[in-house]
Amino acid sequence: MDSPAEAAEGAGRALLRRESRVLRSRVLLPVLLGLAALFCGVAGAWLMARLLAALLGHPGGDWTALAGAAALAVLGAALGLAQERAQLAAGAAARTRLRDAAFARLLELGPADPRGVGERASLVVDRVEALDGYFGRWLPAAFLAFLGPVLVTAAAAWADWRSGLVLAVAGLLYPVVMAVTGIGTAAASRRQFDALQHLSGRFLDRMRGLPTLVLFNRQEAEAEALGQAATELRSRTMRVLRVAFLSTTALELLSAASLALLAWRHAGLLGPGGADPAPALFCLLLVPAFFQPLRAFSAAYHDRLSAQGAAAALAPLLLEEGDRGLALEEIPPRVVVTFSDVRLSYDPARPPALDGLSFRVNAGETLVLAGPSGAGKSSVLRLLMGFARPDGGRIAINGRDATALRPAELRRLSAYVGQKPHLFRASIRENIRFARPEADDAAVEAAAAAARVTDFAASLPQGLDTLVGEGGWGLSGGQAQRVALARAFLRDRPLVLLDEPTAHLDPGTEAEVIESLQRLCLGRTAIIASHSGAARARLGRVLEIEAGRVAGAPQQARV
Amino acid sequence: MWSDLLRVLGLWRARAGWLVLGCALAAASTLLGLALLALAGQGVAAALGGAGFGGGLALLLLRPLVVLRPAARWIERMATHAATFRALADTRVWFFRRLADRLPAGIGLRRSGDLLGRLVADVEALDGLYLRAIVPGVAALAVVLAVALLLGAAPVLAAVVALPLALALLLPLLLAPAAARAAGDIARAQGGLRAAAADAFIGIEDTLAANAEGRAGAALAREGGSLAAAQQRLAWRGALAGTAGSLLAQAALLGALGWGLAAGGSGAALTVLALFLAVAAAEPLGIMPRAGAALAAAGAGARRLFEAADAPPPVAEPATPAEEPGGYAIRFEGVDFAWAPDRPPVFEGLELDIPEGTRLALLGPSGIGKSSLVALLLKLAAPQAGRIPLGGVDIANLPADFVRRRIACLTQDARLFDDSIAANLRIAAPLAPDAALWRALDRAGIGELVRALPEGLATQCGEGGARFSGGQARRLALARVLLTAAPVLILDEPTAGLDAETERAFLETLEEVTAGRTVILVTHRLTGVERPTRILRLAGGRALPAAG
Repeated sequence: MDSPAEAAEGAGRALLRRESRVLRSRVLLPVLLGLAALFCGVAGAWLMARLLAALLGHPGGDWTALAGAAALAVLGAALGLAQERAQLAAGAAARTRLRDAAFARLLELGPADPRGVGERASLVVDRVEALDGYFGRWLPAAFLAFLGPVLVTAAAAWADWRSGLVLAVAGLLYPVVMAVTGIGTAAASRRQFDALQHLSGRFLDRMRGLPTLVLFNRQEAEAEALGQAATELRSRTMRVLRVAFLSTTALELLSAASLALLAWRHAGLLGPGGADPAPALFCLLLVPAFFQPLRAFSAAYHDRLSAQGAAAALAPLLLEEGDRGLALEEIPPRVVVTFSDVRLSYDPARPPALDGLSFRVNAGETLVLAGPSGAGKSSVLRLLMGFARPDGGRIAINGRDATALRPAELRRLSAYVGQKPHLFRASIRENIRFARPEADDAAVEAAAAAARVTDFAASLPQGLDTLVGEGGWGLSGGQAQRVALARAFLRDRPLVLLDEPTAHLDPGTEAEVIESLQRLCLGRTAIIASHSGAARARLGRVLEIEAGRVAGAPQQARV
Repeated sequence: MWSDLLRVLGLWRARAGWLVLGCALAAASTLLGLALLALAGQGVAAALGGAGFGGGLALLLLRPLVVLRPAARWIERMATHAATFRALADTRVWFFRRLADRLPAGIGLRRSGDLLGRLVADVEALDGLYLRAIVPGVAALAVVLAVALLLGAAPVLAAVVALPLALALLLPLLLAPAAARAAGDIARAQGGLRAAAADAFIGIEDTLAANAEGRAGAALAREGGSLAAAQQRLAWRGALAGTAGSLLAQAALLGALGWGLAAGGSGAALTVLALFLAVAAAEPLGIMPRAGAALAAAGAGARRLFEAADAPPPVAEPATPAEEPGGYAIRFEGVDFAWAPDRPPVFEGLELDIPEGTRLALLGPSGIGKSSLVALLLKLAAPQAGRIPLGGVDIANLPADFVRRRIACLTQDARLFDDSIAANLRIAAPLAPDAALWRALDRAGIGELVRALPEGLATQCGEGGARFSGGQARRLALARVLLTAAPVLILDEPTAGLDAETERAFLETLEEVTAGRTVILVTHRLTGVERPTRILRLAGGRALPAAG
């Protein structure tokens, strides 16, 4: 049986294989260019060896050879540039594909996803960026690390077969050394990435609560805790590097030993004034060229390790099938919602959020869900928005099973305002238009007026065009709530779902908002979760919920 | 750019020992590599016709180097990385402290996704300053000096070989400012990408509710595209510079051969030495021009870090703090306040008197300035005119941490952290025993619920308290405030998100729970059970007595 870590690793490899197949042609180009550049280097080394031999009194080298070597150097440099360009393009193409897919999947998973915002953002940004090196550097380097030394060894063998043999042995030893030192680094690398992500998540979490920390004078203690987390990260990273650097050290050792072997061999073989020294010098000059692709491979090995960690984290997300379900043919003008014995549990260790809830809301009717906090009011709305799926029972819309629809399709029926509506960093006008991007200014302004946004926007420096920050900076809680309500007006859908729409409002504003809510609900089916006495008194039929059931309903036997 | 980088080095001063050691080891290991290739070349050339000096000695010296050089490389890399991580951890903590000073009231218009990007990505870009610019720079300088020294016998040859190498060494300094602009674009694009992702996830309910998945995806793809374009520009510059570096190394090589051709047989020995020195120097110097890109990325990262960290603090700490008062009566005397010069004034000549032990209910519609009053009291903002004495001393003359020890506040945006319930409560009182935590939880009316949890106080709260309902999270935050020893409590809408019954139960026990402390209850309505000693209504920038 695979351990979960091994299974994740296997899934990560499967993801990388799938993507490599898709991007095959993009990876091939830099490999060919790299080989051509290497060939220029080998030819240049031969010319230099001939020149040196000429200096030592043997015939063959002259100024023409020097010019030829210079030309080869320039050509090799140009090919190297082209190779680099092709590698950049391959990496960028891979990232675009993966980022789009990961982001779309995370949105599909919705608010029920237990990962925090920092963690999700890090998946889409950092993890995907970490895959860049796999396609842009590792794959081309891996091909070149095999083909390059073969080319150089062949050249050396042509000049002197024994030197070729030395290089061939060094080349064969290299994968052995890498295998020995590479074991253990992969697992350690993933742990290091987890630590890094934890650090990012912790920082975003503490940053968002910075005012809370400051008010309790805890910023200093938190800074120290952050320093401690960084120290921990360092010791983990150093453990990874200790082994990772060992593999490059082994490469250095191989390179130094091959050089020394060749030097001893040729120094012993060639007497003064004897055979042509050009092949011997050529072989010595080839040693750096032989190890250069292996060095690039070794450097790119880190890219592969970090890519594997990242791929293991992304694989569950990207290998999984997306949401399935039916599409909505058209938005019905009227909606009847029926809950029959619906059950929902977020966490098996806690009591269920909904425990056999049944009710019906007729077309055009407004239902106010009341009850203590934690009774399950919000859960009803979440189910109707497709943010959660029921564990049992049936939710029907106009008599048809709502869960058969794809969640995104289900949401097309509704205008929804949650408990903590989010204002994006944009103008108030754009925040309202968010609900229906094709709406014209007149429609946005009408929605703003209906939700009483216009009342306070008039006193802002740029009116509806005033910029608001993340979390509604610059607006009070009640004002942000009204902007969110304006979205619901603009969206104009047959089903209206509101979670505590008047929670942050003072009684005067609440009365005004309730009046506009009445207009919003007119002719639409509405379900409103609210504590507010005024809302209960004025908006419609009230349904008391308690512990996930209609209050007073007999507790049903669990199946 | 250079001044920012110097300032980064200043932040790292405490780690100078580690950093210098890393550089010295890098120089040593690079010189060993140079010696290895030069000795091999010498050995062969000497054997070929007495052209090199001391061929036998060269081959003998070669042996220990075969092992020494790789070992030195390993030690060098461990030492330089250890030094970098130490320095970077310091930078991270420094940045957090600065932000706590400079942006205590929160991120405001700066998006938190963006800020996260700043800390993690920009701090990490700084490792390039040391690992990819300073360390290789020192090593390459050692190589150039060694080459010039060894070939000193033939000045022309020394110049022909060492000058291109020296130019490769200088390239990064020449190229860095232009690359810095490209690196700045990358850092900005990365921040934009992260913010686009974080924004969509923070507002995920609203994004999904508007069926805006496609639009959010397109926005992300746009940011991703501009990031890729910026990265390609910088990488292309790096590639060009790298090519220039390797061409310069080749020029040194061919220059040596040309000198040999011109000098004839008499110069053969030196030519062989020069040729192999140039081959050995190609690796450390070939990577130098790329150091320019690293330097530029570090410069851009540093620029953005300092930009955020240098925001002026909203309220300056007093230069000479007044003696800390024992009392905790609060007064507002003629206070004028507006959040910004272009925003309408919130208070004009506000007068307020809150003696010790008062239980004040502060009423008013949303947006009238209740939160502003709280911000002024907690020194998150400063009045444009007037004084706010606490125990008789203007809080402008008291350190902020003293004021915040005396005045505890349950703000509207009080946040639970992704940690256990116990850790969240102990933010208010780090040394509080479990019994005190339970007492506070009971007083906030949530003790029973926490007891029923299988993990009790060790239960994780999730990011922003996401594991609990809105009302439960609010009561946990309330318990945290009740845990403090502060004699003044500000409760800003303490019962928002609670159902009527829980709200009533809490407000009825408020008097007992807060016995003896001053309580400022900020709310937009009274339920009739609070029994405040005073009720004030904010209107038109002033506080007016009101009937319950």
